[in-house]
Amino acid sequence: MANSITVAGINAGYGQVHVLEDVSLTAGGGETVVLLGTNGNGKSTLMKSIMGIVQPSAGSIIAEIDGEKHNLVGMATEAIVDLGIALVPEGRRLFPRLTVEENLLLGGFRPKARAEIGNNLEFSYECFPRLAERKSQLAGSMSGGEQQMLALARALMLSPRILLIDEPSVGLAPVLVSRTIDKIKELKDRYSLTVLMAEQNFAQASRIADRGYVIVHGKIAFEGKSAHELNNNDLIRKLYMGL
Amino acid sequence: MPFDLLVSALVAGVLLGGFYAAVTVGISIAFGILDIVNIAHPAFIILGSYIAYILNAQFGIDPVIAGIIALPAFYVLGAAVYQVYYVSFEKRGKEALSGLAFFFGLLFITEVLLILQFGVDYRYVQAGYIDNNLGKFLGLSQSLPKLIAELPMRMLVPCVMSILMFGVLLIVIKRTFIGRAIMAVSQDALALQLMGADPVRIKRIAFAISIATAAMAGAFLIIIQPVEPSVGREYIGRVFAICVLGGMGSLTGTLIAAVLLGVAESLTATFYGPSWAPAVSFGLLLLTLAFRPSGIMGR
Repeated sequence: MANSITVAGINAGYGQVHVLEDVSLTAGGGETVVLLGTNGNGKSTLMKSIMGIVQPSAGSIIAEIDGEKHNLVGMATEAIVDLGIALVPEGRRLFPRLTVEENLLLGGFRPKARAEIGNNLEFSYECFPRLAERKSQLAGSMSGGEQQMLALARALMLSPRILLIDEPSVGLAPVLVSRTIDKIKELKDRYSLTVLMAEQNFAQASRIADRGYVIVHGKIAFEGKSAHELNNNDLIRKLYMGL
Repeated sequence: MPFDLLVSALVAGVLLGGFYAAVTVGISIAFGILDIVNIAHPAFIILGSYIAYILNAQFGIDPVIAGIIALPAFYVLGAAVYQVYYVSFEKRGKEALSGLAFFFGLLFITEVLLILQFGVDYRYVQAGYIDNNLGKFLGLSQSLPKLIAELPMRMLVPCVMSILMFGVLLIVIKRTFIGRAIMAVSQDALALQLMGADPVRIKRIAFAISIATAAMAGAFLIIIQPVEPSVGREYIGRVFAICVLGGMGSLTGTLIAAVLLGVAESLTATFYGPSWAPAVSFGLLLLTLAFRPSGIMGR
């Protein structure tokens, strides 16, 4: 069944500071949608608005999960998660003083995920053998790349229908960025997830994108309806390649 | 130094340490895991002692059973105290200093209410085993080794029950979803929300559990010694010392540290006189902070 998220005309910000202005976008039906933009253009604010961490002052955010529609505006973060929407937050936000396995098991907190926790854990270790080797190590003592893998695996422990990923490349060496992006693609295919990924590394993100948006100064400046359109437009050339 | 004296001081210390573990585990959860400086905890323990006293004096209920009966009420009390603390301080980010004052206030109010109700006389409980030793209690004085037969039931029962309670808490914290969420909540509340858990609810449950342990610890205390309302103050320094020595947030560390402190106090009391015992906890606390600030099991 179709799982989708539709953001329509939202404004959001922090106190007096307005960040997002009339932003609309949609992701659904098992596609990978990327939200491109350089630092400080509102990518994270948009992710936080969807998750109920930042409350939009206008507009609507509708999630359709297994045929049922929910308006996410005004809902508590944990209730949004409970619907089956997971966020891999910027900076990963692991529980540093818990072990790798404890972090993963916390991903299975949501009642629907508890039933599948055994399978999900097995799959996490199969997919990320490194995590299996380090399962009793404290999460905070791992390298950046391993932490990003753990953050991804932990989100998948939630058995999500829609996965939001905020800047998976932050703080990672180029080779790890490319590996992380490949992993996201693999997981997405395996779980038939709908993925919305915010990223500033255009070259890497566009490799797995079905389509995407470019956000500039809190507004959607360009919508690429296909990977081809995304790859061949002037704005992206200007922003990312300095042409 | 006579060997017998040393052994019996060690044994007495371990028994005392088991009891200290029950007294400290509540602080270990509230302060060590949740970062809530609940200095009123000893007052809740004394309240637990008085409830055990009332149930024992009025209905002849065994003090340990009385502690178990009081558990649900203390759980609810803990949840209510946390809710007040959360709405008044934590939500507004004022928990550091105002929260400390709040718990100081709770400490004094509880103490004064107990004095108004019961006066300052020492109260104690009665149970068949309290004045016995293990040998007499089991009727096996002749067949058990002397050291074991002479274990005082007054200390043995609280120690064993305390370790039992510890075991249950360890299982809850390490093996349940709520327990793992309790460990995680002070590390990153937002990340916990992203796992689908409400941090305020998790903290409320954890704090309620921490106060519930005071019902048991209070019952143990009044089995060990007669209690009057201000006895709790003697434990404030001790419990925080054990908590830090064990390592913030580690229940296993708390148990080890409690036994260490019990043994250290018992040895000091035996060989240098009981008046030195209180200095031991602060001495150990200073040494810990100087040489291993993260404690024995600190993560």
